[in-house]
Amino acid sequence: MKIDLTTRIKTLTLKNPITVASGTFGTTDEYAGYVDCKKLGAIITKTITVKPRAGNPMPRICETAAGMLNAIGLQNKGLEDFVENKIPYFKKLGVPLIVSIAGESTEEFGMLAKTFDGMKDVVRALEVNLSCPNVETGGVNFMKKQERILDAVKAVRDQTCLLLFAKISPELGDVLEIAGKVIGQGVEGISLINTLRGMAVDLRSRSSRLAKDFGGLSGPAIKPVALRYVYQVKKEFRVPVIASGGIGSAQDALEFLIVGADLLAVGTANFVEPQATLHILKGIEEFCRKEKICSLNELRGSYRPAGEKGERCER
Amino acid sequence: MAIKKYNENVSLLENQKVNGKYYKLVFLSPKLSKNVRPGQFLQIRINGGNDPYLRRPFSYYRVSGERVEILYEVLGQGTSILAAKKKGDTLKVMGPLGNGFTAKIGKKKRILVAGGVGVPPLVFLSEKTPTEYLLVGTKSKAEVLPKTELKKVRAKVLFSTEDGTIGTKGFVTTLLEKIIMKEHPGELFIQTCGPKPMMRVVIMLARKYGIEGEASWDESMACGVGACLGCMVKTKAGLKRACADGPVFSFEDLDL
Repeated sequence: MKIDLTTRIKTLTLKNPITVASGTFGTTDEYAGYVDCKKLGAIITKTITVKPRAGNPMPRICETAAGMLNAIGLQNKGLEDFVENKIPYFKKLGVPLIVSIAGESTEEFGMLAKTFDGMKDVVRALEVNLSCPNVETGGVNFMKKQERILDAVKAVRDQTCLLLFAKISPELGDVLEIAGKVIGQGVEGISLINTLRGMAVDLRSRSSRLAKDFGGLSGPAIKPVALRYVYQVKKEFRVPVIASGGIGSAQDALEFLIVGADLLAVGTANFVEPQATLHILKGIEEFCRKEKICSLNELRGSYRPAGEKGERCER
Repeated sequence: MAIKKYNENVSLLENQKVNGKYYKLVFLSPKLSKNVRPGQFLQIRINGGNDPYLRRPFSYYRVSGERVEILYEVLGQGTSILAAKKKGDTLKVMGPLGNGFTAKIGKKKRILVAGGVGVPPLVFLSEKTPTEYLLVGTKSKAEVLPKTELKKVRAKVLFSTEDGTIGTKGFVTTLLEKIIMKEHPGELFIQTCGPKPMMRVVIMLARKYGIEGEASWDESMACGVGACLGCMVKTKAGLKRACADGPVFSFEDLDL
């Protein structure tokens, strides 16, 4: 039985809903030796900033229960390097590319959008990263003032007709309120969630296990939180949603699909199992075959709220 | 030269204590044993569940034919679980990762300076390449590898322990400086792996006497393949990834 995994988001048609969360799949070909990237529905890049960023000091990562904290700080070589050295790789690869962008100012958000607007043959959508917890400007601290989020989104919208996803997190404030406002500014979809700020303390030194006090928590530990927000945003606004936050197995991916996620971005799980994306894809197909589901659209958004529990069919 | 990397399930042949400190884990793998250089490492998934979640990096201790050996110390949750694994249990292993130590050093005399968990890759290197000295620094005799583990080493093996229970009492770097003074510094090449305070002193001595060399300089890793940018090392050419650009860096490149 052939399962139709095709995922359509407005003008974009993807062969399946599996993608990778920003920053977890290298800059270009780091995983090429382990996983056939061409099988992915889309690739979301590491966040690109206008100027190169060195990121934060070491240690930048530490493991925690069922996940990890990171304080990388958007290390990347900047827009010019990306356009010159990375875009050709993705063009050749041919997998639909979603570029994650973050500006340190409203103007930079606009500049990034304008640049990628001119590359529609490779770049199919932008994910506007409004919620990095590890940078001083452009991240969650900066974006705490809601007008800055809206200014950034407006600046991007003014410069491009590319499909836009705003990546937001509960760290910014009320997710539903912010989602509503950014949709009002003209983004087509929402990307949920970014890492959640957390801490880990070293007993001997009585200081953080990271070089910063806080880091962003990712991995299975945050999945229930991500699932809840994806469900709520999807239910409230019915816009395309890229889900991320602890997706590491087909079970996880299917749960997100049932609450309505359009794209499933596998993040930290890539670090643990480079082929996690493909295992998930296979697992989704197996589930569908077993449940006699021919198209993912039968599954997507089929969640039955708790109030309707009485009529829930027993499978 | 790009070395092909693998990610596969292996079945344990051995996993037992070799002394008061180290466990030795052995498995067979035609792939993970192919073209391995001392200083390279493996990423091991301790179990299939979510806790611990990340893989753990381990240096290759020894490769002969298809047999791969790893020497490790129980330091936390992951290695405790690993130590409880039995013969026949399986582990998911990725490798060979990173860049190893330089084997060809011309006519120079190789001095290896190893400390603590840095001992295994340098024992491997001293078995594979002509080596003048292997200096091993530990806290006490209990951590010193049994003789059977060192029988293939083709070098003068000198110990130094902080408590003086075996070899020279004090730090291994004091021993290193004595040897440097005995030899012609220009003819030496130092390779080191161990705790960072030790390696810092080794590099300081090498710079003082004008000796070239390499250090295995790592940071906490998540992915092990250069994707997450968690393990950056400061070099004169900017930040480099310990896992993919290192972990072995030349003394000259390191910006300490």
